[in-house]
Amino acid sequence: MTAFSLPRNEADDFLVALIEKQSLFAPVEKDSIISYQLVANPGDALWNFSNSTVPPKGILFPQTETLFKFTGSEVSGGIELPPQEKETVIFGIRPCDGRAFKIVDHIFGWDYQDPYYLERRARTVLVGLSCYEPASNCFCTSLNGGPSSKEGLDMLLTDLGDRYYLEVLTDKGGKLLNKNRKLFALALDSDTKEKNSLSKKVESKLKRKVMSCDELQKKMGDLKEHKFWEETSLRCLGCGICTYLCPTCHCFDMQDEVTDGKGRRVRMWDSCMFREYTLHASGENPRPTRVERFKNRLYHKYKYYPDSFKITACVGCGRCTRYCPANLDLIDILTEIGKI
Amino acid sequence: MRNIQKIIKDGARKAVARDDVKYVLGWTPGYGFRVSPFFARTAEDTERLIFSPLCANNLTIYLTLQEKLPLPKAAALDKRKIALFVKGCDSRAVIQLIAERGISRDELVILGVPCGGVIDISKLEAKFPQAIKVEAVEEGEKLSLKVDGKSQEIPKEDILLKKCSLCEYPNPLIYDVLLGEEKQKKTKDYQGISTFEEKSPNEKWTYWGDKFARCIRCYACRNICPLCYCDSCILDKLSPQWIRRSVNLSENTVFQLLRTFHLTGRCIGCGECERACPMGIPVGELNRKLEKDVRELFAYEPGIDIEEKSLLSQFKPEDSEDFIL
Repeated sequence: MTAFSLPRNEADDFLVALIEKQSLFAPVEKDSIISYQLVANPGDALWNFSNSTVPPKGILFPQTETLFKFTGSEVSGGIELPPQEKETVIFGIRPCDGRAFKIVDHIFGWDYQDPYYLERRARTVLVGLSCYEPASNCFCTSLNGGPSSKEGLDMLLTDLGDRYYLEVLTDKGGKLLNKNRKLFALALDSDTKEKNSLSKKVESKLKRKVMSCDELQKKMGDLKEHKFWEETSLRCLGCGICTYLCPTCHCFDMQDEVTDGKGRRVRMWDSCMFREYTLHASGENPRPTRVERFKNRLYHKYKYYPDSFKITACVGCGRCTRYCPANLDLIDILTEIGKI
Repeated sequence: MRNIQKIIKDGARKAVARDDVKYVLGWTPGYGFRVSPFFARTAEDTERLIFSPLCANNLTIYLTLQEKLPLPKAAALDKRKIALFVKGCDSRAVIQLIAERGISRDELVILGVPCGGVIDISKLEAKFPQAIKVEAVEEGEKLSLKVDGKSQEIPKEDILLKKCSLCEYPNPLIYDVLLGEEKQKKTKDYQGISTFEEKSPNEKWTYWGDKFARCIRCYACRNICPLCYCDSCILDKLSPQWIRRSVNLSENTVFQLLRTFHLTGRCIGCGECERACPMGIPVGELNRKLEKDVRELFAYEPGIDIEEKSLLSQFKPEDSEDFIL
């Protein structure tokens, strides 16, 4: 695909154009927490950050969403799909979080085509931003990603100092480019060289690594009853940080919220780290302690998911490790698994 | 002064050697500035234990966290004690748990460590984003750091957790063994809270509404809290469902305020809720406000004496009633 170049001092013009015709989500910092928010001013968008606290997954898969409304047993107004608004652009996605959408696509488009997610996904353009200063717990290169990985994205911008290098990766990205074509110049061969060497330099800054996905998938097949799990998960507090801040965790619950016979069916994120996640109506719980719950989370990511979809459900963003209040360091844990 | 690391390891080794001790709960260094809670079961394990201003975790939570499954047939209940390291604030959680009959004193071997305050690790990570191996030693008002072989000195006041710069109880109030030298107390200061109290209800609502709106309901604040140990939490109940799982300002506010009220006269101010919150919600401010009220209205402080009755189970005729409308 063709590459383009955007002078740094015109970068804001690109955002202005995006805000005008699309709904633009961009990384925004508030009280030191970085999350993707709908922005109205280009100045609110962050360009320099290692990664967001909260991944952008909630834009396509909201933490709480109404599936439909009802009165008594009558469903009213049919199934509510995401409203047909303007096209959505998520700007400034780190390559790991872009790959995460590609991974999650498998589950939402599997045996049941999830109209809510897929509809939003089809109407959203993902504009990535290559990493420049990876965080200390980033380990994307071990998960087949990298600071300039393109998978899952529609466009990728790379900061070359006085200009941004833009790669158009899909038709969706191409259409968005064409709407704003006058802002971009064709990239020179020297730009491409500079971008490639920068990517290598940034990649060398990543210090943490684990074994390959294939090795991990194979290794975990033999470890199910190992005592390692009990020792490791003893310090887990059973909170939902690792799942809720994970860009690929996608489990949800559905509940009816009813007042005076009127209500709505709501879908909300759920966490396999919670006790009631597997609690049966009978009172039986097949994952009664944190040992089974913690083990299941890792098995789901590195064994069951690749068994089903040929792709590991982890992108190496390191958020689970960074935010775990009991320091269950996933990278250390995966390394330990390799040593057993 | 003897090396605190040696004192800690010696203390842990003696405890773990006892026939009536199951394991020693302590801290072990992780990657970069991180420190992990650690269960030491053998003398060899105790070599991995440390104590430094990076040891933020209040280990008391692990006394009540363990799920108790039915024992297999003919298996005997393991009645051995748990040995654990406690800082000043942690020891108050232990006292409160004992006072509430959440745990019994003779189930524990308490290893007290005086603490000069713990560090807000995110501030150090911002200064040294690529640190791999770190050693931290407290030297009076300074923190002497060795980051990947390079030595640095940082004034502690700049990087302490907020609750530590106001700490009244740096020294454990309950222990079987005290390891290390006692530290100087600081004076409690409710200045920030008093300033907030003077604001109008609208201003207060704007402030907290903004914070609660970003709560993701991961329940880390509840799960890390040593005094949130109900077997069946109201938040997990489905029938009746008191709090909806929907994440919005209304439900989030109910959750946050309910937790705060449930901890009134019980919160001992270890600040773990605030440290754990990935969304930067200053949960501790709510607890400090109620701590101040309880102190001013009823001259009561939790987690000081294991014989003390809980605030809500004692009535004194002279109790303040000005707040009753």
